[in-house]
Amino acid sequence: MNAVLNRLLVPSSKELNNIKIIEGQTITLSNNIDLHYINAGTSEVLKLDLVCDGGIRNQTQNCIATATAAMLREGTKNKSAEQIAEELDFYGSYFQTHCTADDSTITLFCLKKHFASCIPYILDVINDSVFPENELNIYKKNGQQRLMVNKQRNSFLVRRLFYSSVFGEKSPYGTFSEPEDYDNISRENVANFFKYHYKNKVKYLLLSGSVDDSVIKASESVFKRLGKNILEKKGLLSNGKIHDKFFFDNKDTVQSAIRIGRRIVNRTHPDFRKLQILNMILGGYFGSRLMKNLREEKGLTYGIYSGMESYIDDGCFFIETEINNELRNQGIKEIYHEISLLRNELIGDSELNLAKNYLLGSFLRSIDGPFSLADRHKILVDFGFGYDYYYEFINMINQIKSVELRDLANQYLKEKDLSEIIVGKR
Amino acid sequence: MHHEDTSSQLCVLNTLYRVGSKDENPDHTGFAHLFEHLMFGGSINIKEFDSELQKVGGESNAFTSNDITNYYVTLPANNVETGFWLESDRMLSLNFSQESLDVQKSVVIEEFKERYLNQPYGDIWLKLLPLVYKVHPYRWPTIGKEISHIDNSTLEDVKAFFKRFYCPNNAILSVVGNITFAKTKELVEKWYNDIPSKNIIREPFSQEPKQISSQKETFTANVPLDVIVKAYHCCKRMHKDYYTTDLLCDILGTGRSSRLYNSLVKGKQLFSELDCYLTGDIETGLFIIEGKAISGVNINEAEAAIIDEIERLINKGISIDELQKVKNKAETNIKFNDLGVLNKAMKLAYCEVLGEINLMNTEVDQYTLVKNSDIVSIAKEILNENNCSTIYYLSKK
Repeated sequence: MNAVLNRLLVPSSKELNNIKIIEGQTITLSNNIDLHYINAGTSEVLKLDLVCDGGIRNQTQNCIATATAAMLREGTKNKSAEQIAEELDFYGSYFQTHCTADDSTITLFCLKKHFASCIPYILDVINDSVFPENELNIYKKNGQQRLMVNKQRNSFLVRRLFYSSVFGEKSPYGTFSEPEDYDNISRENVANFFKYHYKNKVKYLLLSGSVDDSVIKASESVFKRLGKNILEKKGLLSNGKIHDKFFFDNKDTVQSAIRIGRRIVNRTHPDFRKLQILNMILGGYFGSRLMKNLREEKGLTYGIYSGMESYIDDGCFFIETEINNELRNQGIKEIYHEISLLRNELIGDSELNLAKNYLLGSFLRSIDGPFSLADRHKILVDFGFGYDYYYEFINMINQIKSVELRDLANQYLKEKDLSEIIVGKR
Repeated sequence: MHHEDTSSQLCVLNTLYRVGSKDENPDHTGFAHLFEHLMFGGSINIKEFDSELQKVGGESNAFTSNDITNYYVTLPANNVETGFWLESDRMLSLNFSQESLDVQKSVVIEEFKERYLNQPYGDIWLKLLPLVYKVHPYRWPTIGKEISHIDNSTLEDVKAFFKRFYCPNNAILSVVGNITFAKTKELVEKWYNDIPSKNIIREPFSQEPKQISSQKETFTANVPLDVIVKAYHCCKRMHKDYYTTDLLCDILGTGRSSRLYNSLVKGKQLFSELDCYLTGDIETGLFIIEGKAISGVNINEAEAAIIDEIERLINKGISIDELQKVKNKAETNIKFNDLGVLNKAMKLAYCEVLGEINLMNTEVDQYTLVKNSDIVSIAKEILNENNCSTIYYLSKK
């Protein structure tokens, strides 16, 4: 029989000072395209990303970048949309396209045993998509309908209004489509965008999962036919507002969606990673100050979060929540109060240590499994960093002091620099 | 349950309690879920659950369904003991506090509003379930039938619920990650041996009688598009027909090569979105078809087109390739879901609650065994109007 267990005694714990990152590898194919790969995980599965230059920043007309990305599975010179869907489904694979402000990605998920059979479809799509008029019309109508439904969501509206405010409507990070923009999409515009930003070229390839020599050889033999995308990066226009206050009256709603934040430095700035630590303490996790105050103490909301977003050429910081219309003002007051505490008082040792350990644990979770590792690797490629970026981050977390965090709050989180966007019932 | 994965630097403790919203009193719904929130409000020896976990780099969350309440803790593998300490203490006893109850009631009421009232079409399930189930406890959603049920909960209710359902013999623990079996066994014995079992008394619940005629209801709301939801009763998760039903669902309406997508989204262009899925509950579940009609399309015509497609499948059958295709997709789904320690831990515990831990390894084979004729006979059996409840959720304008 064991001695009686003392449950008041906290089990001993260890510092997380030995985090190992499975690093991605890079080889350059004969056509000068980089193939990045991460061999990790325990399942015989693969994910292939073709990262292309078809992001919103390159479009000259609303909707064209996202329409082109979405239309990539709607038919090529050689196969109809139905054939592509049917045949890729027969291999049990998934084919997705995704378009962001900065780039676009064609992604294939499949079992390793079907990889060699599936990748020729991807090559076909990127070389010979034809954008049939009929399929485009279906896309336009359905996209328009989806947008109409989304525009009834306060959380959707508040995000768009926020980005347009802080980045400006001319910036690719602050520009959004309206239902009528779908009417103006023409086959010619899409085909033209495709020709410049996809046809026969990619920025790079990213493979993750059960990657071995056979997978790399298969990729090389198919994708060596592509060229490297060497388009010049366009300069960006930003005409965002500072300290904007905007209220959008959506009278049929019981809760208000709120976003408070600002344009801020991105990953290229040395302060970014330190601000990530400050953000964590304010609203980045379940034990954050905002969550404790507004949810766990006052029950004002189901959830409140803050975050940092880094795009290639810009960045922002935001706090986001949904609160009862009646208690909205109390919630907003508490948000500003928590920010002012960060500017005026030092974070205590026990809170700082907790946040540091949590952040390290959360970093560990963000590198668990091949696809998470691929996401981390993509950031390094896109910003031109090496793995030092993450190892330095780990060191920063370990070493940061309360005084530094208070100084950062004073530099970056002044109330007069924050914008406040609300969608709800006035 | 234990599974060692040395490729990870993490460890997951997943604790599944055999209690869900189906165990609730019909006049006091949403309670299992509210209770789940209270499990984070501190336990008998530990004041703050989350901060103790965060201190060692861990994270936790939970969800409640019709059948179960599932809690999980993910932490760096070398700090796994903190997870055992926390999970076992809240199984032993909670720190029942009126303050925590009051706050979590407000939080859950805000959750109710955020998810069900403040979203276009958000209340469809609040309307659909009581139409489909007349007596079975699946007739209310996990969040609860109405806000007042959440609001009326007392601390006595909380204590009684804990006493009834929270104990080792009503729980399944799975430990997955960078931890050996020997270490797992040692920690389980250390932290759980002194927690007493309880005599679990479950109220028997009414089984839903067979539906014999079609049911239909129409609602209008301030939404931009007309929506139709058709819900057909189908088998329990562990019934031999489950895998056939699942493949039928894929053939008919999952993904861009499915029949409904090709014929009604692409061909006839009656819908902008159209999906099929199973609820997959432990008790008799639902086969759902839901679609958003193209603006200007008559909803009756859109529905008739769905029924035509079902009849075509029943009368003309399916091809060998069509069946092979959905089997291949099922295999991919299973292999992709097995990625990551958290998914594996949840699935292990869920297979155990289903009573068949071997499913972890044999599910792909179960799909392989399904024959063409099985698909057609299941379609004939369940996809008929007399077994169906239909909701029209129409745009006011």
